[in-house]
Amino acid sequence: MPDLSTKIGALHLKNPVLVASGTFGYGKESEGLVDFAGLGGIVTKSVSLKPRDGNPPPRIFEVPAGMLNSIGLANVGVETFLGEKLPFLRGLDTSIIVNVAGSTADEFVQVVERLENEPGISAYELNFSCPNVKEGGLALSQEAAVTQEVTRRVKTVASRPLIVKLTPNVTRVSEIAQGALDGGADAVSLINTLVGFAINIKTRRPQIHTGTAGYSGPAIKPVALAKVYEVATHVQIPIIGIGGISGPTDALEFIIAGATAVQIGTANFINPATGTATVAGIEAYCREHDFHTIAEAVGSVQPW
Amino acid sequence: MRLACLPIARHAHPGQFVNLKISDGLVPLLRKPFSVCRRNAAGGWFEILWKIVGAGTRMMSKYRRGDSVNVLGPLGKGFFLPAGTERAILVGGGLGVAPLPFLCEELLQAGVQAEVFLGTRGQNELCMVDFFEAAGAQVVIATEDGSSGCRGKVTEPLLEEIRRSRNLASTYLFSCGPTAFLKAMIDITETFAVGGQVSLETMMGCGFGICVGCPVQRKKRRPDEARFQLTCIDGPVFDAREVELLA
Repeated sequence: MPDLSTKIGALHLKNPVLVASGTFGYGKESEGLVDFAGLGGIVTKSVSLKPRDGNPPPRIFEVPAGMLNSIGLANVGVETFLGEKLPFLRGLDTSIIVNVAGSTADEFVQVVERLENEPGISAYELNFSCPNVKEGGLALSQEAAVTQEVTRRVKTVASRPLIVKLTPNVTRVSEIAQGALDGGADAVSLINTLVGFAINIKTRRPQIHTGTAGYSGPAIKPVALAKVYEVATHVQIPIIGIGGISGPTDALEFIIAGATAVQIGTANFINPATGTATVAGIEAYCREHDFHTIAEAVGSVQPW
Repeated sequence: MRLACLPIARHAHPGQFVNLKISDGLVPLLRKPFSVCRRNAAGGWFEILWKIVGAGTRMMSKYRRGDSVNVLGPLGKGFFLPAGTERAILVGGGLGVAPLPFLCEELLQAGVQAEVFLGTRGQNELCMVDFFEAAGAQVVIATEDGSSGCRGKVTEPLLEEIRRSRNLASTYLFSCGPTAFLKAMIDITETFAVGGQVSLETMMGCGFGICVGCPVQRKKRRPDEARFQLTCIDGPVFDAREVELLA
């Protein structure tokens, strides 16, 4: 039986397959559709200091092999999260990573401070990369110095591992990852969605209310893989790979490219059990290829 | 299209939907929602009503008897019958007729008088008329091109009927169709102070509340309530007084 357990700094996961923020709600929505214990972990929908209504509809639009979304960080806010959502999550036999969103460094610090004393949380993922909000969001991971400074501020109040989620909408993502590392991040997760756009030619309006939106799904996988590979070859920081993963083959590509763990995103909308099926496929691969641990496969990409 | 699936046939309520993964491939990527049109619990089957509108439904047109398709459901909150309802008016705009046969059957079984108003662009888009008539419901038809029933919007004969009615307190309006049609239906429920429910046709990502992609705005909200509800889990059926449909 290959050992799929995964370590990311002080974060210990039973396997390397997580579900991505914003694609799994707060867990309970998928009750009965997935065996939570089979997942390496759940990254929650973003949690901000105050509740957010999110953007007006239309929020989503399907494009070939992918989708556009502009949800706008709709979430219940940290107090309701702690009162109504976390009790269910902490009862599950899997790691819970809380995705934190904010407009300013202060807001990130305040949310993390509020989460610090609550049991049942394994790590924080800082959403520095939402393309669909006016303040905060993307801008926090488009300049290495800003990423470094906000990470550093949060690190001073966080006793749990910090994962910084990065946008691909930059010239060199490895420079931003280096900023996260210099600020004290334990890992980076990438990629958040690409900025995309679609127009209804009859109405000549954008297909999404806010205009531009986040592009996700199988179509973006090659871009995501290239970004992960870039960070893996330039920065000494554990990577959680995200972007168009729909099964074990996709997940293994990210792992071989250098990701220690992966997150399943859009595929959860079609089948929330994609994650557990991916775990089974990775295990079978390890057996077939004589990997005793999944760690042996990480970054094992071979030159021509 | 009839699908054999015992759990959905048994557990579905009128107004609920199923989410179909139309193809195993990447186009269409997401599941697509279809109202449960009719079901037979004993026979273990249910039916959906559909027409070709895009790539996915074009693929569905190539399905053959005996093919398998991946279905998630029944999903969402369906229609509910308010106490004291003696007479139900079911209004379908275009393919919005889809959930009404199932609802009509259940209403008639519950001893509620049912009248059905259907509006389409033309006669060729009319569906399920024979079914409603055979079930014992009165059917009124309006087509925009006048090819069947009255010429014009279905709201015209409906308004006539409502103005004539003497028992609006025990009358209830159930409607399903495109947004502009439902806005007209909500206006009617307000103008005549008649109760009603609307079933929304909205773009959905997942169908069970995780993508948060199908918001519908609340009309009046308490300070502690969020601005939006989700069509997939809070609906697709809403009280006509509760929702504010955006253009």
